[in-house]
Amino acid sequence: MGNRLIAVFLLVSMAYLLIISASAAYPRFALVFDDIKGPFFAAKSIQVQFNDSNSGTAQLNIEIAEINVQNYTWKNIRLSCNTFQYDQNEILCKDGSITVPGLFSFPIFLHFLFDSSFLRINLKPSKSESWHFTLKRDRNAWLGALAINNGQLNTIAGWLPNNEQLLKLSSGKINGAVQLVGVDSDLKAVTIDLSIGALAFADQAGLHAGENIALVLKSDFEYSEQHNHWQWQSELYWQAGEVFWQPVYLSGNNHHLSVHGVVDNGVIHLLDSSLMFAGMGTFNFSGILNISGNPLNVFKLEAEDIELSALFDQILKPFLRDTSLAEVGVDGLIDFDLSLKNGVLQSIRLDLEDVNVIDSRDRFAFHRINAHIPWRINNTTVADINMLNGHLLQIPLGTIRAPLEINEFNLFLPQLALPVLDGILKLEDFSATYSKKGWQWEFNGELEPVSMATLTEALQIQQMHGTLSAFIPDVRYDGSNVSVNGVLQLSVFDGSVVIHNLKLIEPMGLAPHLKADIAMRDLDLELLTRTFSFGKVEGRVDIDVRHLELANWEPIHFDARLFSSSGSYSRRISQAAIKNISALGGEGAVMAIQRSFLRFFEEFRYSEIGWRCALRLNICYMGGIESEPRSSYTLVNGGGIPAITVRGYNREVGWQELINRLRRVTRENDPVIQ
Amino acid sequence: MTNRLKHYVLLSLFIVFALVPLTGLAQANLEINTPAITSIKQSMQTRHSQLVEFYNSGAVGLTKDGMIAIRDANAVPLAKRQLVNTLVSAENQDRNALYREIARANNHPEWEPKIRSTFGQRWINMARPGWWYQKNGNAWAQK
Repeated sequence: MGNRLIAVFLLVSMAYLLIISASAAYPRFALVFDDIKGPFFAAKSIQVQFNDSNSGTAQLNIEIAEINVQNYTWKNIRLSCNTFQYDQNEILCKDGSITVPGLFSFPIFLHFLFDSSFLRINLKPSKSESWHFTLKRDRNAWLGALAINNGQLNTIAGWLPNNEQLLKLSSGKINGAVQLVGVDSDLKAVTIDLSIGALAFADQAGLHAGENIALVLKSDFEYSEQHNHWQWQSELYWQAGEVFWQPVYLSGNNHHLSVHGVVDNGVIHLLDSSLMFAGMGTFNFSGILNISGNPLNVFKLEAEDIELSALFDQILKPFLRDTSLAEVGVDGLIDFDLSLKNGVLQSIRLDLEDVNVIDSRDRFAFHRINAHIPWRINNTTVADINMLNGHLLQIPLGTIRAPLEINEFNLFLPQLALPVLDGILKLEDFSATYSKKGWQWEFNGELEPVSMATLTEALQIQQMHGTLSAFIPDVRYDGSNVSVNGVLQLSVFDGSVVIHNLKLIEPMGLAPHLKADIAMRDLDLELLTRTFSFGKVEGRVDIDVRHLELANWEPIHFDARLFSSSGSYSRRISQAAIKNISALGGEGAVMAIQRSFLRFFEEFRYSEIGWRCALRLNICYMGGIESEPRSSYTLVNGGGIPAITVRGYNREVGWQELINRLRRVTRENDPVIQ
Repeated sequence: MTNRLKHYVLLSLFIVFALVPLTGLAQANLEINTPAITSIKQSMQTRHSQLVEFYNSGAVGLTKDGMIAIRDANAVPLAKRQLVNTLVSAENQDRNALYREIARANNHPEWEPKIRSTFGQRWINMARPGWWYQKNGNAWAQK
């Protein structure tokens, strides 16, 4: 833009010089300059025509075939004065016009007084628009003033060559004044007081655009003879309008940018500058940067009591839309500061005050986080992070305090006691590293007993009794998957559960997958069946679930086998349980039971219980105690007196149908035997 | 029929047609349903009613690789451009997950690229008149 203004200024100045030369009382002349060149300016084929009527008025026409300023070219520029008056005291161009074909054509008024060294140029591109420029000279000092009334920025934008890479200015109105003070050829001070309204711009793709923007700019630049540098102060108020700068959308609401500084030998020093973002807070900054294009030599940014909800929603969240934080709401206050040196981050300090982080999909929530988090390059720091409570995948979390060691992009937490319901999850040697793959972390630890009653209530699943405890050997997250190296051990239903090969694929993704092999040993059947109101069964069972895969937390694949544990223990089964097992097996199994026989006894003895299910594409391929597939299979093998044997005949059942049957039988606490 | 219902019916038709068995993947069961696939489809159905406005205006188009993309942000008021970004991003995450889950459910994760390109063509075939889609060579064309 500066180059265009220079070109117009040169054009007018050239006219001015030619006018002066024309004042030498030649009634008619024509001049032709083939070529004029300067360091940043070139003009070709300049024709000057002057006609004097000897009545004090004349006509002046100047035509320039081409003007080049750096990479920009304008052709067939024409300046004409239909009423050109001159004498020994003044030169006056009235009814003038300046034309650049295809770009603009508007009236111009030029007035120059010799005695007071006064120049006045009036441009009036339209009825409501005017640009007045005056230049006064007093000995060596001079004062230039530009007054703009309803200046149309789209007119100026029309001077620009079409370039798809550039923002296109489609509208904008400018009012105000610019004042220049100088001595000889040196500029000493500049004062700018401008207001811009209805500003609209966009790039071709619409990814960077603004509409109805209202700005007020007040700037003072002054050259200090004492310090031999420029001092400046600028205040920019963004009062209204909206801007979309991919991917951020912001609307004007009296945001205020205040920049103070000095320019010294090509180095800009930013001093005590600030950006006040309405609804968010004030960011103070200072720095040193080299005009030659080097990155920020020094930069410091600090802010206090920033509304985190506004900062996160308006600035941070648009950049996180492809992450699991895209659906997170954050509120609270944050103080922070950061510093850069030679473009490299040197330090960050974050202080969080009563911050809440809540996932809109309810996968996690962390409440009342208060934290002091320092970070320094090439140093180890310790963050102090406190959280009142929260939940992760519906499991409530209690108050924690985490002294987190930070070294560059590595985090380490020697120990953390995390209250989980009525138990405690003890994490040890937690470490996390940030790399190109994103965050990766690992830890080990143990879960001290959590009552199954509170856990199942929290998970909103069938209530269970007993306790859950676990030894957690080594858990790793590689950027997308969580895997447990070693085995996860639980204690439940008075037996043990060992989980091998546990892997969580994209746990925070849209379709999390869990894979594992599970071996349960010596589960107390009485506890188990009482929990699920299945009908009393005494005994112990082992359950193997191999190749288990859950998608979206529901099973899609496994090979399960339930069988009686080895050893000596009471093996009794109630008639209600037999009825329910039969119902699970489908109509074929029910028919196999001698119902009349069933009526005589409340309980029966058995020698072995067995059930198998291979889940494939929503079908459970069932079997019983026998390992070899036959037309029927044995679910309960009788033993002792009275004994009963239950056989199943349905080999295939839809998984959902099986779940529905299980739900039905567990709801019928008191089955009726007919 | 309410607009919302129409959108659901349209999306359902899309999915049904897109699930027609593929010539190149004779063994693939593209109608396979798992809890994850059901969840993703529901998510896409919910979002589709919001996206229709932007398909209609030409702001968003269908790409040949089974995704969607912002074709002309100028067709969207400034205040809604961030919403379009979010919708397109979320929709593409769902679509990626859908193709991946169908391939996984078939026990052939390596089929994902073929499933993706086939879906891409089906979505384009089923697009409404006036909607924009990407041709070979990445140029946009209007149905």
